[in-house]
Amino acid sequence: MNRLLRPCLPFVVLLWSIGALAQSPFAPKVTGPLSKRVVAYQIDAKYDPPTHTVAASETLTYHNLTGQPLDTFPFHLYLNAFQPKSTWMYEAHRDGSFRTSNFDTWKPEEYGSNEVTSLEVVGMGDLTKQMKFISPDDGNPNDKTVFQVKLPRPVAPGQDVIFKIRFKAKFPEVIARTGYKRTFLLAGQWFPKVGVWWHGQWNCHQFHAMTEFFADFGTYDVKVTLPKEDVIGATGVQVSDQDNGNGTKTVAFHAEDVHDFAWTADPNFKVVEDDFVGSVGKVRIRLLTYDGHKHEWQPYIDCALQSMKAFDDWYGPYPYAQLTVVDPPHGATEAGGMEYPTFITGDSAWFIPKGVHLIDLVTEHEFGHQYWYGMVATNEFENGWLDEGINSYTEVKVLDNMYGENASIINLLGGQLGERNFQRLGYLSSPDMDPLSRISFQDVSAGTYADITYGKTATMLVSLEKVVGEQTLRNALHTYFMRYRFTHPTQEDFMRTVNEVAGQDLSWYWNQAVYGTQVMDYEVKRADSTQVTWYDENLKEKKGETEYETQVILHRKGDFVFPVDAEVKFDNGETLRERWDGKDRWARYVYRKKAQIASVQLDPDYQITMDRDYLNNSKATESNHAAIHKLATYWLFITQFLAQMLSWFA
Amino acid sequence: MAEGQKGAFAAGFSLLWRRQNVLWWVFVVNFLCGILGILPATVNLSQALHGRLAADRLGSPFDLGMYVELLRLPDVDISRYNVGAFVFAFVFFLFMLFVTGGIIETYREDRRLSTGDFFASSGAFFWRFVRLLLLSIIPFLMVGMVHSGLQKLADHIGDRAIADQVSIFLSLAAFVIFLLLALWVRLWFDIAQVRAVVQNERRMWRNLWRSWRITWHDLGALFWMYFGIALLAWIVTAICLVLWSKTPGTATPLTFLLLELIIFTHLASRLWQLASATTWYQRHAELVPADRVDYVTPHPEEVVEAEPSTPPPPADPGPELPPTDA
Repeated sequence: MNRLLRPCLPFVVLLWSIGALAQSPFAPKVTGPLSKRVVAYQIDAKYDPPTHTVAASETLTYHNLTGQPLDTFPFHLYLNAFQPKSTWMYEAHRDGSFRTSNFDTWKPEEYGSNEVTSLEVVGMGDLTKQMKFISPDDGNPNDKTVFQVKLPRPVAPGQDVIFKIRFKAKFPEVIARTGYKRTFLLAGQWFPKVGVWWHGQWNCHQFHAMTEFFADFGTYDVKVTLPKEDVIGATGVQVSDQDNGNGTKTVAFHAEDVHDFAWTADPNFKVVEDDFVGSVGKVRIRLLTYDGHKHEWQPYIDCALQSMKAFDDWYGPYPYAQLTVVDPPHGATEAGGMEYPTFITGDSAWFIPKGVHLIDLVTEHEFGHQYWYGMVATNEFENGWLDEGINSYTEVKVLDNMYGENASIINLLGGQLGERNFQRLGYLSSPDMDPLSRISFQDVSAGTYADITYGKTATMLVSLEKVVGEQTLRNALHTYFMRYRFTHPTQEDFMRTVNEVAGQDLSWYWNQAVYGTQVMDYEVKRADSTQVTWYDENLKEKKGETEYETQVILHRKGDFVFPVDAEVKFDNGETLRERWDGKDRWARYVYRKKAQIASVQLDPDYQITMDRDYLNNSKATESNHAAIHKLATYWLFITQFLAQMLSWFA
Repeated sequence: MAEGQKGAFAAGFSLLWRRQNVLWWVFVVNFLCGILGILPATVNLSQALHGRLAADRLGSPFDLGMYVELLRLPDVDISRYNVGAFVFAFVFFLFMLFVTGGIIETYREDRRLSTGDFFASSGAFFWRFVRLLLLSIIPFLMVGMVHSGLQKLADHIGDRAIADQVSIFLSLAAFVIFLLLALWVRLWFDIAQVRAVVQNERRMWRNLWRSWRITWHDLGALFWMYFGIALLAWIVTAICLVLWSKTPGTATPLTFLLLELIIFTHLASRLWQLASATTWYQRHAELVPADRVDYVTPHPEEVVEAEPSTPPPPADPGPELPPTDA
């Protein structure tokens, strides 16, 4: 080193340190590694916007931590799902639609592909010809979403194997969380990704229409070359941006302790930034959005901040340095509402009425996935409820906290809809079709999968609060998160943790709610009062003096057994609360008082959201006619309006 | 707006006001149809909510989740409401088709017809108006096709535009064009109905053709008259909806009044259009030969109508449409 420069060395080191800190993928108070880093991906990708293709070279270093020699490796090629004969397309067509797309007819623009042009294993040579497509789930010979390669010699336990793969990715017009729309690109599931060695075998499912993904934690160093006017965002943090002088630039990203990598680009993106300061320091929020959505910028940021705070307070820290939030352009709804590690996509529109919390609903949900998927990396193919479902439950809690229990989705013109009721409505659509424990992609249909995975899980966890208490369940989720973050827990791990924190064996509940398809339905069968001396013909009723016998019969109509409260009110203003364990088919309560029954209501606080019929939960001696008048007024107006519109043609 | 049309606009309202009993009757029938349409569903709903405390959640605020749950109950068959609403909406449509002849005759004569005369004139023109209705399907279908084409174009352009607004505003523009075209067709067929009554015209193809020429000749003024009346109705509707949005959820009687006012306004605007069209036609068309229609055995009468742009020949009894001062 030049002697003249030597005095500057401390400053150079300091500057380098500051630079390194700025590029750290973690929040200030976090140091890695946070996970067993099984994989290390280095990808060099060149994006060609006119053809919506990426040509890339990928170097994958796989650390064999399985404890046994491995000579076969399966890889996902998800983009091949978007072909007419794939299993994904078969399932989407079978169920009629997928998210916002329908698959009645094949549309060429929905074609996508991943093509591996060469595969070499360092020290073992070119194994391109050893690649073989496999269909472990359904045997579909035309499905090309998983390939397997057999090595000439096994990789010993504790050893590394390095794959060098060249591939081409062709993106479809936005569909199922990936693809392009005009100049916008969301590159998700775009590179060959190795399966997970889990429970003594490879877990590498084909891409299914209903379910999502499963992968190992590791590090990602990804360089993307693209037109220099493009604005790019990705998993992890940006570490360099180099102008290539030919109208392109190469942007490099680095991420650690994540299990996937997605990126997005569009020359029309506007960048809005803010910081969240949580328990582990400052986290940069980077929103990629559009001029046309200007009114929605602040709601996005506000929701991200509030969600991050709630999760930080309740469940645990967000350890990464950055959260990238993508607001897809119009017409690209299929790219919206998706989660990748440290990178989420929201959903908005040019105009959203105040009181409709769409942005919050989607943004909170996708941020929640940073915990339930991103860090607690459960197997989404097999146990969708552990990520989508638990996330839907925490969505209920966070949105309730933000907007109130009954108005967290819609609070407009006197009409309200709360998130818990929103989830409940989903559950009620198909309460008994599939148990939560079923392999998720084997559910009867995409609709049922959504109703059960999201709706039932959220509903059954809200109902569980009735048994263990809201705070206990929050503590259980905190323990579950802290214990299993950066691992791949199972549904049994989750239930065991809740049992442990609650200090009780909840098997009776899990057996019904998770492993079973029992449906809960309680009703007030009878509630009436008669004079005790009914046989005395001369007796005249006198309020406050005449003695009555009141009979209340509660009935368990469904098969789901659950303890339930009943609130009994008398016409002298007296109120009693009874708790019934619900084990028998019915329970009778008899009261002798100088008052008659006014009303009986089961679950008066509407906590047992699994009860399929709220309307039979009560009996009152007087009806609320205001509701009927109100409904009749609106129905009348609609009918009259329809009539006068039709008569316009006369 | 030409003086003549200004006059028709105001005179139409004046006529509507003088003959307001027609409007009230139409409103009452519309109201009864509404009541009958919702009756089965309301009875059903009353039974389902009888003695149920969950009904409290349908008060204020209105729990949308509970409402959906209510409609999903096997005991509450929402299809009853749908069927009832559509059936009685159709009954009102038939009623209006039937009485339009009587309404126009009332406006033409500008006097209170006896019930018998009213229904006699309604009956006399009913089948002619049915024929007009059937013929109106063609232009309304064409307007629908134009809208469909414009909407596809809006989608095509909007899909390629970066800003969301392009698609939204183009769709809105397509819809406005559709409404204006539909209003124009309505105007044309209204003039045909008025002409059928005033001229006792029996041949509907010829009637349509002549009404087309009449309408086309004075299209701007006539259209603005119709558009102005419709616009007023929608302004009143908007005001009512704003008031409704500020009404407490528990104020059902006030909500009822506001919503009924909307219905009344739309019915009034429709009759105002008919009254204005009748007034306009009477002012601009010379009636040949009689001002009274024989409902029992009407004789075919030759109606001579000059080309709107052609000056009337001196020997002619007089063109139906002399050049206006518009």
